[in-house]
Amino acid sequence: MKAAVRYIAASAALLIALAPVYWLLTISLKREVDQFAYPPQWIGFAATLQHYRDAFGSGSFGSYFANSVILAAMSTAAALAIGVPAAYGLSRFEWARSWDLKIGDWILSTRMLPPIVTIVPLFLMLREARLLNSLIGLAIVYTGFNLPFVVWMMRGFFDEIPREIEEAAMLDGESRVGSLLRIILPLVKPGLAATAVFCLVVAWNEFLFALILTQTDSSMTLPVGIASRVTQYEIKWGAMSAAGVVAMLPVLVFASAAQKYLVRGLSLGAVKG
Amino acid sequence: MKTRRIPEGFWWTLPSIVVLVALSIYPLVYAVRLAFGDLGNFTRLAGDHVFGTAALQTIAFTAVALAAEFVLGLALALLVDSLTRFRSFFRAGLLVPMLLPPVVAAVAWRLIFNPQFGVLNGTLRQIGFNTAALTWTNGQNSALLSVIIVDIWEWTPFLFLLLSAGLQAIPPEPIEAARIDGAGPWRIFRDVTLPLLKSTILLALLLRGMDLVRIFDQIFILTQGGPGTATETVSLYIYRTAFRFSNFGYAATMSFVLLAATMLFSRGLMRVMRAR
Amino acid sequence: MMEIDRLTKRFGSREAVSAVSLAAADGEFVVLLGPSGCGKSTLLRMIAGLENPDEGSIKLAGRDVTQVEARDRDIAMVFQSYALYPHMTIAQNIGYPLRVRKQSALEIEKEVTKVAARLGLSGLLANRPRQLSGGERQRVALARAIIRRPKAFLMDEPLSNLDARLRVEMRAELKHLQHELRTITVYVTHDQAEAMTLAHRIAVMCDGKIQQYDTPANVYHRPANTFVAQFVGSPSMNLIQKSDAILGIRPEDVELSLDEKPDWSPARIYVTEEMGNETIVILADGSSQLTARTTAGFRADFDTPVWFRFRPEKLHRFDPSSGARLAC
Repeated sequence: MKAAVRYIAASAALLIALAPVYWLLTISLKREVDQFAYPPQWIGFAATLQHYRDAFGSGSFGSYFANSVILAAMSTAAALAIGVPAAYGLSRFEWARSWDLKIGDWILSTRMLPPIVTIVPLFLMLREARLLNSLIGLAIVYTGFNLPFVVWMMRGFFDEIPREIEEAAMLDGESRVGSLLRIILPLVKPGLAATAVFCLVVAWNEFLFALILTQTDSSMTLPVGIASRVTQYEIKWGAMSAAGVVAMLPVLVFASAAQKYLVRGLSLGAVKG
Repeated sequence: MKTRRIPEGFWWTLPSIVVLVALSIYPLVYAVRLAFGDLGNFTRLAGDHVFGTAALQTIAFTAVALAAEFVLGLALALLVDSLTRFRSFFRAGLLVPMLLPPVVAAVAWRLIFNPQFGVLNGTLRQIGFNTAALTWTNGQNSALLSVIIVDIWEWTPFLFLLLSAGLQAIPPEPIEAARIDGAGPWRIFRDVTLPLLKSTILLALLLRGMDLVRIFDQIFILTQGGPGTATETVSLYIYRTAFRFSNFGYAATMSFVLLAATMLFSRGLMRVMRAR
Repeated sequence: MMEIDRLTKRFGSREAVSAVSLAAADGEFVVLLGPSGCGKSTLLRMIAGLENPDEGSIKLAGRDVTQVEARDRDIAMVFQSYALYPHMTIAQNIGYPLRVRKQSALEIEKEVTKVAARLGLSGLLANRPRQLSGGERQRVALARAIIRRPKAFLMDEPLSNLDARLRVEMRAELKHLQHELRTITVYVTHDQAEAMTLAHRIAVMCDGKIQQYDTPANVYHRPANTFVAQFVGSPSMNLIQKSDAILGIRPEDVELSLDEKPDWSPARIYVTEEMGNETIVILADGSSQLTARTTAGFRADFDTPVWFRFRPEKLHRFDPSSGARLAC
């Protein structure tokens, strides 16, 4: 039956997608002697949590993890605080000669800039401001990343709410700010949550800027911490993979919550429908 | 009375504009000053063989990865779209590679690719293949291919997701009409589905293509650009120039060339799609 | 000749179409009439081959097509939303069925020009669907259907997206076209006026079953049960609950008089609706209401006393529990 073939193919694809992740997980749980044993052991090996203890207990990965968390939270909060009002401004008010569209497009186009172009100046700028190797410096940069995205996403959500609702509120005596806080935001809660999740994931996964702008042990994020160990000669794969597993868990949890909005976020709105 | 002064919405938008100008426009201007401050940079670039190699490798990488990701992504989108049960389960699982921090994906594949101890060669040996020649990321000739494989694994879900959304957006009626008109499944795909998918395809190729041209993260972890410079793409060369050799001006020059190439790529792609 | 035998379709535990049997002769215009959810569209889609029946069979021109794919049944369908190919020109849309059958480009052009002329589309052939009005798109859908001279036409509420005046115009055009082509047509609608004007026979459906399958005249004058009686005819037939039967009387068969008449029943005017060519009067008789239809000149204020009686030969009687028609 044709249906069975399709399910088999889909399952095969699923296996290919998940096998490397699963393998990483097994490495993180295997004793060192087993990690590179031949034939490869997929199941039925003796499990240990030693590598997790090494990485996060005695190793510095605990502080890298904390850095990543703080960074993601800070930059997301900042991006939302600045971007949501901007989206509201673009969506709700009358603009002459479609300036709102022009500004919106400009904001969006900043996302198109290859990071590599701005990274050298940003490195130099932060160095002058003595913000290198600090979470604040990196948080500012990440806010810049996430801002266009927040404005674009939230504007889309705001546009979907009919104006009449606020007009009714204002006839009842509500102010602009009040109507945003008390009426509009509760209506776009799922969209707001999805946008926040995106920002968190972007900040969490980001590597290039973190690599260049934070190089000390106290300021490094999780991806940079992992990278710095991997490029050395003697690689402790157990601790490495334990760190990797912990690094990917929050993302998977968050992303599954925001699954519906993934397409919107990734496609920047050009997919009709 | 409607004034022609600054519209009220502007004040709401102002903080965002300020931040973006500070973090995007100003650095851009700064970079221009760096690059054009010493015009000798451009002449040096013209004769730089290392850059030439990096550019070629980047193009090869982009072309192969994009083509493979597109075909596989489309196949997956059609496949998953046709399933009646467990569709969201499959979709969620298939998206995992794309959601991971790229660094973690690279670490996993570095483990897998290790010629002596990695599970890929290990499994092949189990089946009976001779893996002596399979050096994957360590081999001069196979490193680029290995890196491409990782990218395909990691980003095909992205194409899959976009094309899937595009497929969902196609109304079912023209397809039913084609069935009644006498068209078989392949004909329907060619005459109705594909044309209606055109704008989504363009978007997918554009977005992924631009990201491929500036690829950095995975290659940095997998091979650091090596062995030698076998997998050094333009981004990696820029990184090396700026942060190993501290030659910021020259790095800025190269990044402009990269920026120009990215824009050419997107414009060229749009023209091709519009003409079809 | 189309024969449908005990066709059944289930969605989960619900039977959308229940053991429906129906036969249509060559050249006949059959209308499936009923409220939304009655199963008429599902029935049509099974005839088209877009849905698979759970039980029963469909025969077309003597051939059993129940298991045959839609594309091999040699039928054409006009969808409610027209289902034109948005990325093709009108000419390409109309010609698509022939292109699928691998006819030569020259032949296709000849046929498309002919059909387009017949439906008044000649000037629009190079345009795209989004540039056309609703009525024009509908004609394109029709053109695409008639170009291959199929064994049957299936139409799923093709006129419901048009504005009222256009709908009436297209109704007449459709009827004339079908008469010329003499092809079996199965037409789905919820509009009883459309059914009455277009059909040779109407199949009134409710809850997945055919309530009555007969000529418009018979469906109107001899409804098989209370459902059919109330669904066909506007304003609806009046139904009066009595102890041993349900009485039915159409508004035009209720006689009114502003002067008291012996043996006539008294009532009060609830509302009058002067339509120009006639007047609809709603009477209140205690707690119940009655709708009557009378001449244009009739004029009376709210609450005016009025007397009414039913034309005895036009009285319908239905069984109080099943609703089925009782012999008079």
